[in-house]
Amino acid sequence: MVSEKTDRPPFKVQDCAIITRMGGVSSAVNLRELRERIAVCPAETLYHHFCETLVRPTFDDPEFRNDFAVWASRHLRDRVLAERLGIINPYIFKNIDSLREKVLDILDERLSEVPYIPWVPKGEEFRFMRGVTIVFDTHATLETAEDLVNHLPDMSLSAIYYHFVEARRRTPDGTDDFTTWLADLEEKPEELLRAFAHIDFYFLSLSELKDALVKAAQAAFQGGVEVR
Amino acid sequence: MKGLKAYEDVAGLVAVSQLRQLADDLEGTKVVHVNSTRVGGGVAEILVWLVPLMQDLGLDASWEVVEGKEDYYKTTKAFHNGLQGKPVTLPPSKIEVYEETARQNAERLRPILEEADFVFIHDPQPAPLLELCPKRKGKWVWRCHIDVSHPVRKVWGYLKSKVSGYDASIYSMPDFAQSLEHPQFIIAPSIDPLSEKNCDIPSREIEETLERYGIPNDVPIITQVSRFDSFKDPIGVIEAFQMLTETMEAELILAGGGATDDPEGAAVLEEVQEAAQGNPHIHVLLLPSDAHRTINALQRASTIVVQKSLQEGFGLTVTEAMWKGKPVIGGNAGGIRLQVFNHHTGFLVNSPEGAALRMRELLRRPERMDVMGETARQFVRENFLLTRHLREYLTLMLGLRLGLSDRLMADQSYENPQ
Repeated sequence: MVSEKTDRPPFKVQDCAIITRMGGVSSAVNLRELRERIAVCPAETLYHHFCETLVRPTFDDPEFRNDFAVWASRHLRDRVLAERLGIINPYIFKNIDSLREKVLDILDERLSEVPYIPWVPKGEEFRFMRGVTIVFDTHATLETAEDLVNHLPDMSLSAIYYHFVEARRRTPDGTDDFTTWLADLEEKPEELLRAFAHIDFYFLSLSELKDALVKAAQAAFQGGVEVR
Repeated sequence: MKGLKAYEDVAGLVAVSQLRQLADDLEGTKVVHVNSTRVGGGVAEILVWLVPLMQDLGLDASWEVVEGKEDYYKTTKAFHNGLQGKPVTLPPSKIEVYEETARQNAERLRPILEEADFVFIHDPQPAPLLELCPKRKGKWVWRCHIDVSHPVRKVWGYLKSKVSGYDASIYSMPDFAQSLEHPQFIIAPSIDPLSEKNCDIPSREIEETLERYGIPNDVPIITQVSRFDSFKDPIGVIEAFQMLTETMEAELILAGGGATDDPEGAAVLEEVQEAAQGNPHIHVLLLPSDAHRTINALQRASTIVVQKSLQEGFGLTVTEAMWKGKPVIGGNAGGIRLQVFNHHTGFLVNSPEGAALRMRELLRRPERMDVMGETARQFVRENFLLTRHLREYLTLMLGLRLGLSDRLMADQSYENPQ
């Protein structure tokens, strides 16, 4: 069913640009220092290393999605620790402190298991970073669900990141902006909402995520009519 | 310099639109960049496009250059070397030359600098200007382009006293950041794909360039383009080439110009010419600083490009070669590590022997070179073109203006989308 124009406020398409800065704590040269720094680093720093990895220039498809797991694997050469950190899904935690607690628990457990504290050579330290996100208006507004379906292919990857990923830390129920807006339309596009809810973006790059959103939206809205 | 619109084809319409949207809230902002040379070296090459494109976006941007005499450039070169870890001494007489030259430049530049909303001071040469502009009203940012990961402590100790008062600093990679109280940002450099040095050129022009310098093109050509600077290890490249040519034929080009702020270039050039003497397959070319099309042609004529630096801020010549679809054998140093990935875009090496080994490997497996070259070009397109670089400068300025929390609205009247 095509969503009709309603009195609901239109969806303002915004975009974001992120710049990286040093994270406010010293770099870590061993597992114990990593644990100590994570315990006190700013929330934005933890968020950056778990979630903003998506927007960073990368060359290869990383083996793990968060920087701590990558460092444990590539530099500490502790595969067990890397896998334990790698399985953490940051989006299921109600806030950054809960995520921090989980990470510290894993690190404490590993510290109690290893016969010696693993170190890295000079130059391979873990450097803590954080992002500064500037949100700006694209001047595009969407009135209906169909508008969203049609506009998605033209959205930048950073706009997709802002509305579908970053939204999860600023919306009360931890969902994305598209879903929040669509669910509030007078005639809810149920199929589209279901399609978006089924996208597991954790293992996708931003361009893969955009493809998945576009395909899901087009499948749900073939020919301008929502398919149920 | 072309306007921003010209970049829509090569960088994408979205990337250019984003710049215009971000710049909406910076219209009319007075921005001044200051460095120590208008020609030669990576910093000048960046400012050549950065300033006009900022103007195209509606910012009131300008570029100033500090000037000095020979002993000033000798001192700042010693700074440069010391910051990159080469043992140097800085006697009081050199410090006095440095500070006196800064005072003279401050007299000339003070009105424009104190009025600016943002001042970007590039590298150590103009760093003392901050304390010499007490009525400054804008944000001052120190942009460090060099690898300061392991500086000579006394040199850094002195410079730190000049840069710690800045509102922020920028480095090309996190490894270079130092212990400073102000926010430290990471911005990788970039290239201008439409500049004379990087634009597409006809194959006839490439052939003519080789003819002009008497370089045969019937055997593989290996090229290093860089200033004649010991940190670029041109002697190590010659050693590697000599090892390679024990088993196969090739030509080596070592091409570079001088920079007006680099007084050591002539001595290094002499050393390189001596090492190359008697080998007709080694071509040492001292090019004028505006020989951009010649460098473009030489890079395109090359089978492999080398940048065997021992220390490197970023290595724009690596980016340039990758943009031209060439695999790069790079020194395992600084920003080269951000660009060269073993077996994907080239090889990182740690010795002349390593460079010789990888040259031979690539030349024996030419089919791999094509794949690597294509991968390299795509990687540059996605990460190291000037549109990304300019976006990060705009983001930084907005961030500093708005107060640097983790998420900021460019226009404070915006609300969440719903």
